[in-house]
Amino acid sequence: MAPAAQFEAAQPPKDAISALVFAPGPSRRLLASSWDKNVYLYEVANGAEEANLVGTFEHRAPVLDVCFGADENEAFIAGMDHQVKRIDLATGEQTTLGKHTAPVRCVVYSPQHSLLVSASWDSTLQVRSTTDASQPPLTIPLPGKPHALAASPSKVVVAMTARLVHIYDLPTLASALSSSNPQAAPPPQPWQQRESSLKFLTRAVACMPNDAGYSTSSIEGRVAVEWFEDSAESQARKYAFKCHRQAAPEDEGGGDVVYPVNALAFHPLYGTFASGGGDGTVALWDAEAKRRMRQYQKFPESVAALSFSGDGRFLAIAVCPGFETGMEDYSGEGRTKVFIRELGETEAKGKGAK
Amino acid sequence: MGKKKRGHPDVEELLSRPWCYYCERDFEDLKLLISHQKAKHFKCDRCGKRLNTAGGLSVHMNQVHKENLTSVENALPNRQGLEIEIFGMEGVPDDIIQQHNQRIIQNFYTAQAERQAATGNPPRGLSGGQGPAKKLKYETPEELKKRLAEHRANAAARKAAGTTGAPAAAPPADGQSPAQATPPFSAPQSGYPYPAPGAAPPYPAAPSYPPTAGAFPPGATPLPARPPSGSGAPGAPPYFYNGGAAPSTVDELVANAARQGGPGGDDIDHMIRMAEAGIRPGAGKAGAAEEAGAGGGAGEKRKKGTRMVYGDTEVSPEEKMAMLPRYRWIEETAA
Repeated sequence: MAPAAQFEAAQPPKDAISALVFAPGPSRRLLASSWDKNVYLYEVANGAEEANLVGTFEHRAPVLDVCFGADENEAFIAGMDHQVKRIDLATGEQTTLGKHTAPVRCVVYSPQHSLLVSASWDSTLQVRSTTDASQPPLTIPLPGKPHALAASPSKVVVAMTARLVHIYDLPTLASALSSSNPQAAPPPQPWQQRESSLKFLTRAVACMPNDAGYSTSSIEGRVAVEWFEDSAESQARKYAFKCHRQAAPEDEGGGDVVYPVNALAFHPLYGTFASGGGDGTVALWDAEAKRRMRQYQKFPESVAALSFSGDGRFLAIAVCPGFETGMEDYSGEGRTKVFIRELGETEAKGKGAK
Repeated sequence: MGKKKRGHPDVEELLSRPWCYYCERDFEDLKLLISHQKAKHFKCDRCGKRLNTAGGLSVHMNQVHKENLTSVENALPNRQGLEIEIFGMEGVPDDIIQQHNQRIIQNFYTAQAERQAATGNPPRGLSGGQGPAKKLKYETPEELKKRLAEHRANAAARKAAGTTGAPAAAPPADGQSPAQATPPFSAPQSGYPYPAPGAAPPYPAAPSYPPTAGAFPPGATPLPARPPSGSGAPGAPPYFYNGGAAPSTVDELVANAARQGGPGGDDIDHMIRMAEAGIRPGAGKAGAAEEAGAGGGAGEKRKKGTRMVYGDTEVSPEEKMAMLPRYRWIEETAA
């Protein structure tokens, strides 16, 4: 592999990274939320192979997720202190948008509908309009604790405990929110309720940019790809495969060491996707052809998050120690890094189905 | 392989196939192998140029992109080095060739035994023009009884000796089938790098029987090509590392890359598919919990040592981290 096409962001977060996202569009800004209670804003330099820290935004509790808003100057964060906040990245101004009754696990913003969806361990989703701050949020009860959340142009996928997956239709949510009295009406029902194709706890969800489907990953080294369309032929297309495993040495009894697949990210243009695992590797997959396109050389620690830039030129990789069973004194201090990989012209382009 | 021909190729044919040092895949001819190597292992990931060798790619990377190539892409973990100059089959170290051949032989005999078990047909070459298989039909009842007795004694002796595996296939009467009685390469050894699927005894099994179990003299081997009896036969389908079919799906690629997807992995696969197919949410959940319990505990015979670094199927790593004093957030700090 070519290590020179990959560079490390200066001044990485001081503790484990919970989320990493590129700004939408051609922007080269990158946000990382960290367990050290800060959100870090980086910018990939033009031409030079470096990414510099533009600013940090301190929160009062660990930040569990972050996403960009309508443009590269707006961000939303999910806090362990139950809060959902908006940060103006230009001025540094922070506004609390609302509260859950438990730590907020994920936030996702839909630019198409100007909706912010937050998922909390209090087993609710909150949907709020970002254009009208006065409007009370819509609260949707969930049957389980959410672990991952992702939005496509028209859908939101929530993966929960007990392998539950709910898919909500964004236009439905938007109209429910704007109806005269959202609190009185029964909360909108999911557009589809599914059971995860994976047998183990869902770790990450990512939606296809073309709105056709999504992929999920589990703690048991497996990734599934499924389609939204509820027809028999579409559902027959879904598949799952093993990845992010390592052969254990023979003297330890052989078999496989199975790592969680912590991160999934679809390429914005090609519809291929990347997976990052606890084994510290990142692989690129062609969802159509069902092939692995490449696997990058191992990173020093577990891959915690992945994000493609809006133009698909860069892949950001958050690396920090993975939380493994039995850890009682976890710390990502000093071992957390952000790598940015500049992709070659066709590096992430699939060959299409065979 | 096996796409054009319906029949199964014999072991010489398999051994003569060119194969790739970096990923152990084998090919119809050398041209295909070379084009595979150029596309998979010697392709520049910056500009897509296909070079002939790893050294060539290294020089290209250096000169054109000012980068250093450190390893060969898509290669097996221990084959990523740039030190060995490989072109087609040239440059492959002898010991690696030996290993490869042994693996092919191992796979071949395992597959053959499996086929025999599945079809009950004798091995190729024995049913045709050769005498013994047909002759056997004219055995007298006495002869048959004698051989049956021998077989039983043999089985009992083996059972007593603690070998649980059924005979994968008893060797044919000696001298009848030189190709099988004396394979061109020695039988796979225990130090063999690729684990034997199902621990099925290698085909030329007779010599490895403990001498104490020799209820019949070597040479008077019973029942040619008798399929293994159901009980102890390797239950899982044979694992073709590359021998069965060229990897064409993500699944296979991954399985190949993992290199450890022996019968254990297949079993899990099977279980998971079963779960996907039939088990309702509640039952599935329970199954998952059981599986996790097995993964953490001692009773993980089926999993063959498979270990999950994070095994909790209900609580996410983040929730556990959130409980640690280091990250815990307490409401009063807000008040």
